Amino acid sequence: MSDASISDKPQKPIPRPSPESAPYWEAAAQHKLRVQKCNACGQHWFPPSQRCPHCTAADFSWAEVSGRGKVFSFVVFHRVYHPAFEGEVPYVVALVELAEGPRLLTNIVGIAPDEVRCEMAVKVLFEDVAAGVAVPKFTPA
Amino acid sequence: MNINPSTAFRDKCAIVGIGNSRLGKVPGVSSLDLLVEAMVNALDDAGLKTSDIDGLICRGPDDAYGHHQLIGARLGINANISTTMDNGGASQILSIAMAVMAIEAGLATTVLCGFGRDAWSRTHVTEEARVRNETRPASQRPREFGPEYGYFGAVAAHAFGAQRHMHLYGTTRDHFAEIAIAFREHALRNPQAQMKKPLTKADYDAARLIVAPFGLFDCSLRSDAAGAVIVTKKDRAKDLKQPPVPIKGFGSFNNLRGWFMDDNMVVTAAKKSGETAYKMAGLGPQDVDTAQLYDCFTYMVLTQLEDYGFCKKGEGGEFVASGALKLGGRLPTNTSGGQLSESHCEGMLQIVEGARQMRHTYGAERQVKDAEIALISGHGGNQVCHSTLILGRA
Ligand SMILES: [Zn+2]
Repeated sequence: MSDASISDKPQKPIPRPSPESAPYWEAAAQHKLRVQKCNACGQHWFPPSQRCPHCTAADFSWAEVSGRGKVFSFVVFHRVYHPAFEGEVPYVVALVELAEGPRLLTNIVGIAPDEVRCEMAVKVLFEDVAAGVAVPKFTPA
Repeated sequence: MNINPSTAFRDKCAIVGIGNSRLGKVPGVSSLDLLVEAMVNALDDAGLKTSDIDGLICRGPDDAYGHHQLIGARLGINANISTTMDNGGASQILSIAMAVMAIEAGLATTVLCGFGRDAWSRTHVTEEARVRNETRPASQRPREFGPEYGYFGAVAAHAFGAQRHMHLYGTTRDHFAEIAIAFREHALRNPQAQMKKPLTKADYDAARLIVAPFGLFDCSLRSDAAGAVIVTKKDRAKDLKQPPVPIKGFGSFNNLRGWFMDDNMVVTAAKKSGETAYKMAGLGPQDVDTAQLYDCFTYMVLTQLEDYGFCKKGEGGEFVASGALKLGGRLPTNTSGGQLSESHCEGMLQIVEGARQMRHTYGAERQVKDAEIALISGHGGNQVCHSTLILGRA
């Protein structure tokens, strides 16, 4: 790392995984979207936990999903709650419902905030935010 | 699962003491001392002494561990039953429900309930605190699935529900404005309200957006505030200083699967909590003369009006636009100004106001004329916990 890349500029929070969520972030780092899928009832779930919230089975796999979904709802941040987002407002935080069922909190990018709509079709993309860390975001499909 | 709320609790217990602390900006006073102030006022109001209290159920900021013990120590109270509640803004009504159940089970006779917070002081002590506007201790904030996306705070969480409701039912910010303006009009009749100036539609429209669809006036206040009530058997209450306010029913529901799951952000836990309370009280929405609803944000009032059956789902916008919420309207709501314009005490001041309305405390400018039934709501946790209290006329 060169000195030029070190600055006093506030940094956006980097996700701090729990043991339960580590596989999700490891997949994201490879630009893959994986969520847990129950081997007993076949349903997907998110956020991560060690048993299926649909049937309580402990038998699951981390399944790669399509990365396609729709905007269930969204909000537009105008207020700066964290100094690293000073230059970002207004920005969209959305709840995206994946085709496989689970809903993810995310950003919608590549579209003006006032053009985002509920039920809009979106697809995943990945933003590298630090060495070995990528964050899934969504853009109009 | 269908439950069968017991009608045996109906009208058995009553609120006999009501108190609040100084409200608004009370720098240098801890949340605990604010609550002690409210509790002493409630005791004075009832004509009771601390030695008469044998139950203490209360709540404060989330980082006050063993909150009821801290309050008991300050008041010099030992108690047969005592605990700190953990149901967010729904805790305050739930503490009254627990008090009734404890009294009816013979575990206590006279229960002191209350909530106090120092949210204004806490969010204004430093510039950083002001920017983050966060009352939760750092250790309890999310570490992933939120902050990396710039997702912070309760405004955004509730705004998701507002946006979804707008999408499904054509609700608009003009509807939200009706709620903010009605409650501000009420606050102007309340000398202890934080907000002292009228709010016009032009003010609402000109205000900066916080997290759209919410602007400044969709959001409740940051307040240092506490409130307290005392619950005892209605027959015992006859000997006390004030006419007892009968507790007719209560309810609770928790959408524990989450605010982001199912349709919980547009059909809230208020629906099932309300059904329980109505059944216990033997009443329905048509019987309610005044509502004191948990108004952390304008939208939460609108959805609760639907969820409690004051109008159909999706028709909350029309209902508020009709002027129903104003004093003199069909359902005078948040007659103190509520959390949007009086003071934000996580629903505790809604209980205080509902009980005072049932005592017919106020002059004509603020009293709901001939009011016999008040419905009060509590909402919180991570937007999924809800409680309901129905009071009758003293
Ligand atoms: Zn399963």
